[in-house]
Amino acid sequence: MRIAQLVRVHLGAVTVLFTLALSACLLVAGLPRAAQGSFDEALRGSLATAPAAQADLTVSVESRSPSGDLHQRSEFDFRDRRWREILPAPLRPLVTAPGHQSAKTVLTPITGTGGHTYINLGWLSDADQRVEYVQGRAPGKPSSMTYENATIPVFEVGITESALKEMQLQIGQTKVLGENDYVAVKIVGAFEAKDPGDRYWSHNLDILQVTKIQPPGKLDFEKHITTLIPDEGLAVLSSEGRNLGYHWILPVDPSEATALAAPDIDAAVADFDRAIQLQASGGGYHLQTGLPKLLALFLAALGTAQTVMYLVLGGLLAVALGVIALAVLLLGDRLDHTLTLARARGGSLRLVAGVAGGVTATAVLPAGLAGYGLSYLVPGPALPIVHLGPAVVVLVAVGFAAARAARTYRTPLHERREDVAATRPSARRITLEVLIVVLALAGAYLLRVRGLSGGDPFLLLVPVALTLAVALLTLRCYPYPLRLLVRLTARGRAAVPFLGLTRAARARSASVLPVLILLPALGVSVFAAVISDGITTTQRLASWEQVGAPIKLTSNIEISEATIDRVRALDGVEQVVIAQTGRVQVGYTAERAEAIAVDMAQWRHILAGAPIGLPALSDGALVSPDLRGRGTFDIGWQSRVKLATRGVIDSVPGFYTEGKFMIMPLDVLIRPAVNTLLIKGDVSLDALARLVPSATVESQERALSAIQDDPLTHAVRWTLLVVTVALAAYALVAVVLSLVVGAAERARAVSFLRTLGLSDRQAQRLTVLEILPMILVTALVGLGLGLLLPYALGPAVDLSSYAGDLPVGDYALDLFTPLALAAGLAAVAVLGAYAHTAISRRRNLGAVLRVGELT
Amino acid sequence: MNPTLSELEARATRKSTAFGGDAHIVCDNLVRIYKTEGVEVVALQGLDLVIDEGELVAIVGASGSGKSTLLNVLSGLDVPTAGVAKVAGMDLLSMSARDRLHYRRSVVGFIWQQTARNLLPYLTSRENVELPMKLAGRRGGRATELLELLGVGYCADRRIPEMSGGEQQRVAIAVALANSPQLILADEPTGELDSETSEQVFDALRKANRELGVTVVVVTHDPLVSEQVDRTVGIRDGRTSSETLRREGAEGQIVAEEYAVLDRVGRLQLPRDFMNALDMERRVRLELESDHIGVWPAREEPSDD
Repeated sequence: MRIAQLVRVHLGAVTVLFTLALSACLLVAGLPRAAQGSFDEALRGSLATAPAAQADLTVSVESRSPSGDLHQRSEFDFRDRRWREILPAPLRPLVTAPGHQSAKTVLTPITGTGGHTYINLGWLSDADQRVEYVQGRAPGKPSSMTYENATIPVFEVGITESALKEMQLQIGQTKVLGENDYVAVKIVGAFEAKDPGDRYWSHNLDILQVTKIQPPGKLDFEKHITTLIPDEGLAVLSSEGRNLGYHWILPVDPSEATALAAPDIDAAVADFDRAIQLQASGGGYHLQTGLPKLLALFLAALGTAQTVMYLVLGGLLAVALGVIALAVLLLGDRLDHTLTLARARGGSLRLVAGVAGGVTATAVLPAGLAGYGLSYLVPGPALPIVHLGPAVVVLVAVGFAAARAARTYRTPLHERREDVAATRPSARRITLEVLIVVLALAGAYLLRVRGLSGGDPFLLLVPVALTLAVALLTLRCYPYPLRLLVRLTARGRAAVPFLGLTRAARARSASVLPVLILLPALGVSVFAAVISDGITTTQRLASWEQVGAPIKLTSNIEISEATIDRVRALDGVEQVVIAQTGRVQVGYTAERAEAIAVDMAQWRHILAGAPIGLPALSDGALVSPDLRGRGTFDIGWQSRVKLATRGVIDSVPGFYTEGKFMIMPLDVLIRPAVNTLLIKGDVSLDALARLVPSATVESQERALSAIQDDPLTHAVRWTLLVVTVALAAYALVAVVLSLVVGAAERARAVSFLRTLGLSDRQAQRLTVLEILPMILVTALVGLGLGLLLPYALGPAVDLSSYAGDLPVGDYALDLFTPLALAAGLAAVAVLGAYAHTAISRRRNLGAVLRVGELT
Repeated sequence: MNPTLSELEARATRKSTAFGGDAHIVCDNLVRIYKTEGVEVVALQGLDLVIDEGELVAIVGASGSGKSTLLNVLSGLDVPTAGVAKVAGMDLLSMSARDRLHYRRSVVGFIWQQTARNLLPYLTSRENVELPMKLAGRRGGRATELLELLGVGYCADRRIPEMSGGEQQRVAIAVALANSPQLILADEPTGELDSETSEQVFDALRKANRELGVTVVVVTHDPLVSEQVDRTVGIRDGRTSSETLRREGAEGQIVAEEYAVLDRVGRLQLPRDFMNALDMERRVRLELESDHIGVWPAREEPSDD
């Protein structure tokens, strides 16, 4: 039998199968790819935005004796090469760029300042490429001088220009450092960083900025600066009496990081640290990096994203396979005549199954290849699922076609005698179904109790089991209410409802597959819609919590009356609420609390319509839980103010979320020094920033888009959207296919009834009534399942990292999308049924009744 | 006198003459029960049938009498529940799947009533005839020859929808003959045709029977067919009930004689009309005469109450 000829004859069914297989392969290969691509992007983003000092690998050693001192650049290079050699494999792709080395002293005081001012000595291996001398000259060879009867080295140093002023130093000055082993530094030049924004400087901020530290219990700040010495200085720099440390920076290239490799990095970093300690002679070497911590944060967010992806992609794959199976059934129906004849006329079972499989393969194999090929257009790495997914689709389709043919044509005569058919489920089947339902319920209970963090991958199967259980219950139970309806309609005078519902209640195995497809399709798409809605709502909430007003303007100095008036006069500004924030003294102790004084009524007014709210307050204060139960406060803020506690507030949106804080009316302050404006209106943030140069301007919209723009969040929401759309499309295809699969039988029944006087209009209603109960029941149960799943999985799937770290829970039942999905499905099914009868009306009654009639 | 051991041995090894002897088709006490979840339909209830090689036999019977079931069993498409069914010495009950496939490929050919069901609409006549040959792994050289023989050579390159019902059915006969079977079975081959076309189709069957020496069994309602064959077997309630034999009389006219079928254990089905005419019910009285057996209605027994 020529497969090509069969394909040509049944081109319609083959095309349907091809299209479905193509879309399924593209989705199962493309979506994980795109998702993994965004995971990588997210990881790269989080590594690139983290300070280099945190992300990079720094090997450090303290030189404890002059014998361990390094004086030559080559000694640094040698060790740099050594570190790179022993780098564990998972870290190798990340560490490719050349790094730099440094030698720095810490806590080197200027003699006689009582430990208030420190000038450290620093050497950078690439200083000449990083800085530019703007005053004086570059430091040169050290000299020596006599100090307290001893000859001490005098290092020529360069210092950052800003430190000159801040530490009251001048070029040409010589300072003696140390409290016993003295050295002197001569400031010969001042430099500026060539690119102060470079991540490089995060390793050497001590060189670029003066570090001010307030020692506990003191009012004055200690000032630290690290000056630069040249290679010649390094040759003389000794650890005698100094805290001298050497550092090798191995920069991590964020663009080389992949989410897949991320879990191995943690162990690799630990390995590297151990290797450094073992390898290096002299000991004391250790690794400093924040990489594991950065990755841990990322991996936590990734874990959730992957769980959600697995769930929805698994659902999508299952539904896609179901629809493909339905299309294979359709093709099998079309091939039935040929295969029956071939089997009866001496075709072996292998040949018949081979032909069925072959025709199916002709459709799905090119589709699989095309889908797989097209998935390469999607950016992202090729995961195993990218190769496996299309293979699974192709194998399942061909295997199902061949197995079904082998089963159907096992005996050459596969006509079923309808008159002796009695449907009674076997005990074995009922036991199996009860087992599945019990397992699903037990799994759901475990999932709620233990969550997914237990690392039990079997719990991931719970949603699948739940869906299957619900589908089985639906299949088992849905004829019963229908039969009740049939009994009611039997008493009525109209024949069509009775006939239609009877046929629906009698519908057998053929209707199983559509239910098994529609249910998870609706379930998963409603689940995706609910989760997506939940994330959207929580993101919006988080943005409001973050800013506290449509626009928040905070200044570190007082904003004058005139400026406030100008802000009020700006185009688009509807309302401006003034507020003062600050740290206040609680009682007469050293206890401090954050405070905000604001007109609560006005603030509440500009928050109208926002998902956050504030309690009313006319006098006294609302305090944080930490300050609860203290009665009346006596605070020091400009003057002494007495405030009665009027309530406890968990957070002040836009300002404080933890620690000690209080909120009070603005009029308790005698003369408020306004430093915060809360603005409502459609106004340009740049204009506000220009008007109040000292201020930082934040807007809720900008915060929201910052939350939404996160690549991981973006990936999750986008995947949910694509899956929802794909599932809805599959559900519709399933309805249409199931109509087409049952078309011949239905046409015969309708034709028969038409000989008894059924009108065209009645025939249409009959078809609709026959198909509608299944669609309606499945739609309702699917809707219920989709709404139930987030609750069942709620504790197991933590989506907070996608919603600005607010927990996504309390899924606000925005029923619009789910209802629209279910209603759209039902509507299309009804339309399909009408279209179907309209087509079959054109057929000749006699032909329909004669052809294929069994004797 | 008790037989000696050697006599017993000889008796045991002696081949008893089987029912039907070496006839081409032998059905002995054939039973076919359709059974689904507790509901049983007995389609064949101990049918006996013997057909010799080269015969052209018609099987007639009311709807539901088991004709089609018998044909399905004989064509190897269906397996009987019990009894004996042998065709050309092959036991249809004990055949393996492989034997059954071989049987369908080279021993038997068949024609269904629905013309559309016999042929693939998207193939030409020749391709349809070649299909069984290809399925059996043979070369399709005989197709044209067969079509010519059956008078539809001109249809060789036409597709099925382009042909009349009679032509289609004759092509179907060619398909059934494709692998030179020893037996062809036809299930109401003229059921959907007008009388003139039926004549052509029956002629084609007769031609196959006479010229190719193929045994032909036709299930039919059509008197045109049943009255032209040498032997017509009647089936009632899943059993063979009567046989009509036709022979040419001395003056060339056809003489038909109807017989009741006597099975191996002596069971006989009386025609319903006969029973009704004499009010025979439950029991009859038999009397053996020198050349016949007389059947009388049961005497009225004096009842006790």
